[in-house]
Amino acid sequence: MANERRPDLRPARLARWREALAVQAFFLPTVLSFVLLVAVPSVLTIALSFTNFDGYSFKFHFVGLSNYRALFSDPQITASLYFTILYAVATTVIVTVIAIPLAVIVNINFAGHKLVRAVFFFTSVPSLLVLALVWTYILSPLGSGVINYLLYGLFGAGPVQWLSDNHLAQLSVIMVGVWAQAGWHSVLYLGYLQSVPGDYYDAAVVDGASVMRRFFGITLPLLAPAMTVSVVLLMISGLRVYELPLALTQGGPVYSTYTVTQNILLYGVSNGKFGEGSALSAVFLALVIAVLFAIFGVLRHRESRLFK
Amino acid sequence: MKLVLSLVMLALAAGAALPFYYIVVNTFKTPEQSAISPLALPSPFTLQNYKNVVNSVPLLQSFGNSAYVTVLGVLATVLFGSMAAYAINMRRTKANRVLRLVLITALAIPFQVTVVPLYEMMVKSGLVNSLSGLVVVYMAGAVFCFFIIDGYMSTIPKELVEAAKIDGAGVVQIYARIMMPLSMPVLATVAIFQTIGIWNDFLVANTFLSSSSKYTIVLQVYSSVGEFTTNWPSFMTLTTISLVPMVVFFLIIQRKIIGGLAAGAVKG
Repeated sequence: MANERRPDLRPARLARWREALAVQAFFLPTVLSFVLLVAVPSVLTIALSFTNFDGYSFKFHFVGLSNYRALFSDPQITASLYFTILYAVATTVIVTVIAIPLAVIVNINFAGHKLVRAVFFFTSVPSLLVLALVWTYILSPLGSGVINYLLYGLFGAGPVQWLSDNHLAQLSVIMVGVWAQAGWHSVLYLGYLQSVPGDYYDAAVVDGASVMRRFFGITLPLLAPAMTVSVVLLMISGLRVYELPLALTQGGPVYSTYTVTQNILLYGVSNGKFGEGSALSAVFLALVIAVLFAIFGVLRHRESRLFK
Repeated sequence: MKLVLSLVMLALAAGAALPFYYIVVNTFKTPEQSAISPLALPSPFTLQNYKNVVNSVPLLQSFGNSAYVTVLGVLATVLFGSMAAYAINMRRTKANRVLRLVLITALAIPFQVTVVPLYEMMVKSGLVNSLSGLVVVYMAGAVFCFFIIDGYMSTIPKELVEAAKIDGAGVVQIYARIMMPLSMPVLATVAIFQTIGIWNDFLVANTFLSSSSKYTIVLQVYSSVGEFTTNWPSFMTLTTISLVPMVVFFLIIQRKIIGGLAAGAVKG
């Protein structure tokens, strides 16, 4: 090739370069929005978390880990870390336990299966904030509270203070979160189920495997890749939870349903405590990354074991 | 056996849908009637709540604001994402694969991590409390679109691109006339996800918008809670009205989304 280089190949080479440059230009808008909206602010967050920047004065200096120490001695922050993790883990586990069987069932061709699928899916379409506001009325001990109305009508019990007892408030936030997400995730599983060849089951039926054996022996292992996707999405959206507790309980009673997100916005934006707000953001980022690595590690390992 | 399954599942679905029944049925009742029997059918039937809400809440303005940020946000992110996906599918070089990996880290970085400096940057650029500024923040979603569209575009046979090149098509023409039309299914799926995400967004809008004339419909509902604490049937009415566009959208895209979610998921 090299010794064949002739002058009349130059324009061709130039054209290739120009084409490559034109193609690279197509990256520009996405790369720019990534740099300006994600990369630069993330780096600044980490940098700010080691300073006493207050948003106004530019005379700020390095304060080491003092913002981080302040975080872990602040009960509003530690409570939010605890509840955020509790919410993320609990919704992930409960949604997964509901969504997989739900997907298997709506995959059966019974009368109305499409309607059932659509109804469960629909709960994930409207704004979670608006739905959470409605749930405050549903869970209320006052006249609007349907749950207490039913409890009283059926069992003569109640009224239960769903949103004003610490543990019940946490439970309520988690249950509404499950209600809003289970249908969406079952549709995700359904997609994978529909790509499973039917002969797997035919063979199992011939071998006399029971319904349970078929579920645990065939369906569940085949859903392993779907589970990786679903669990990652659930954990990430769980850790980012914001509007649901904000609308349902405003973080209360006391600090029991405060979330990390709520505190980042309170400290870093509303109250101008940039150092602490940034430190909490940095802790949050570390948490998200740790969770992602852990899940990918465990689930990928499980997938590879299952498919050996 | 299947009949039992039908009945059980329809009953469960009815249970899951009960909050929606509750929202809608109470919009046609007086506050007194709602308090006594929140689940009963309305008697007498009243439209007073609708009159209250239409007269006291700037609905058209809020819907207009939501529509503005949603349309621009979806167009920008899908356009940007598809452009980047096209670029990497044309030149899957080592450097571009590293770039792709760097971009994908954005999917793991939540908005909350960037919000403190981002807010300052937006203040300095005069983009706070502005609908266009909000659209700028939504542009971060381009990476998500890029990621999903790339998965689909990589399945389009390269021969089509080669043939177009021989016919003398340029880089822009191949993007606009070949890759975009062939990627329609995934573009639709991504646009649907982005539409639901931006229309329903509360976190970003609530952080960057402060004057009520700029409120999107979701912010409007949130800020009206206080106004209707004593008249909760009117609040349910506002909720119902606010949900109408999403319900219509859901009915239109229902088949597409359930199929698309599956297709996108299986590919990714």
